[in-house]
Amino acid sequence: MTEDHNAGAHQPRQASDVELRARALEALLVSKGLVATDAVDAVIELYEHEVGPHNGARVVARAWADPAYRERLLADGTEAVAELGIAGAEGDNLVAVANTPAVHNVIVCTLCSCYPWPVLGLPPSWYKSLAYRARVVAEPRAVLGEFGLELPGDVEVRVWDSSAEVRYLVVPMRPDGTDGWDERRLAALVTRDCMVGTAVPRVPRGASP
Amino acid sequence: MDGAHDLGGMHGFGAVVRPGGDAPYHERWEARVFALHLLASLEGLTGRPGGRATREEMPPAEYLAASYYERWLWSAQRGLERKGTIEPGEVERVMERLAAGDPEPARDDPGQARRALAELRRPERAEPLGDARFGPGDGVRVRRLRPSGHTRCPRYVRGANGEVERVHFAARLPDLAVYGERPAPEPVYAVRFRSEDLWGRGGEPPWTVSVDLWESYLEPAAPRPAEEGAR
Repeated sequence: MTEDHNAGAHQPRQASDVELRARALEALLVSKGLVATDAVDAVIELYEHEVGPHNGARVVARAWADPAYRERLLADGTEAVAELGIAGAEGDNLVAVANTPAVHNVIVCTLCSCYPWPVLGLPPSWYKSLAYRARVVAEPRAVLGEFGLELPGDVEVRVWDSSAEVRYLVVPMRPDGTDGWDERRLAALVTRDCMVGTAVPRVPRGASP
Repeated sequence: MDGAHDLGGMHGFGAVVRPGGDAPYHERWEARVFALHLLASLEGLTGRPGGRATREEMPPAEYLAASYYERWLWSAQRGLERKGTIEPGEVERVMERLAAGDPEPARDDPGQARRALAELRRPERAEPLGDARFGPGDGVRVRRLRPSGHTRCPRYVRGANGEVERVHFAARLPDLAVYGERPAPEPVYAVRFRSEDLWGRGGEPPWTVSVDLWESYLEPAAPRPAEEGAR
């Protein structure tokens, strides 16, 4: 954000102290032969390309399309996502919680930034923010309102604070008007925020039945 | 540790939704610090108590002022120093050299990259559950605590009554395990709290908060006062 792209490549820009420290730490470990540059690149690429909310969207779409899968998902999230080839760090104890007309779920980690990486990738900045961690347990509707999500007053909001090694995935309700859609098309409706609980899936206006 | 990381219920941090909030990080160094810290931990280069508990040791004013990945950078450097992988002062000397225009070294090791990816993709399951003191529906009360080290018991539920919602699995108590002790695995529960038991009445329509808590944090619930029971 502070990067000035207009500074040009010829002038080394003033690195912030924290950025300089980050580069120095990596340089130090690389020069000691302890960490490899391509291994750092590989870890970044894993979470930029392979692991992300497209995985969770596939899981939700399958649960919408296949009631037996939905049951397995709600009974044992880790096993059920493994059926779709999804597993890995921060997903060892995945619990899927389903939204219903009476209950809306939303996840947080007030102490840290725990998040179900294998199904959602790395969390967005807002999920890790002081404000989200402080407020969603104490005024969930106000927070959801900031995301444009207004729930009927009689819906019970259930906040899940992932303070242990459990990682939660919200299974949103399948929107009306999606009968007969295949899983690929359904998955396109399932955004990251729908699976955190700060949004619900919407059928785009004018979508063909 | 009752540090600045234990944020549930605090006021004053402003809006959640802000410009740029959707991205996991904004600058390249942030992604590299994330990956470097993971890698250093996977390769056994960092010492106890691990990144998370180390970040909790940040002085509260520093913790709150730092960006997310600045905290990771802080815990990475401290973890590496604690293990003896790097010496205090080494990073600062490299900072001076880089600032003076020294090139950054690069070194490839496809074996390390492969090892890291295999580890990050590897499924792992929790310890199976043994005897659990509480079952779903049981009333529990969270103990009052002021632990000097790492804990997973947030301040905002201490002393509160709740109800066991799920019995998850067994796990070693992190309060001890992150420092290298090996206590016997114990049950971890999802305990559901009513909003009024955490925050009092008023505000929004009632909601619930479920928090994952180790059995050591819990005791049987005190009976509710009659007026509340009649609610």
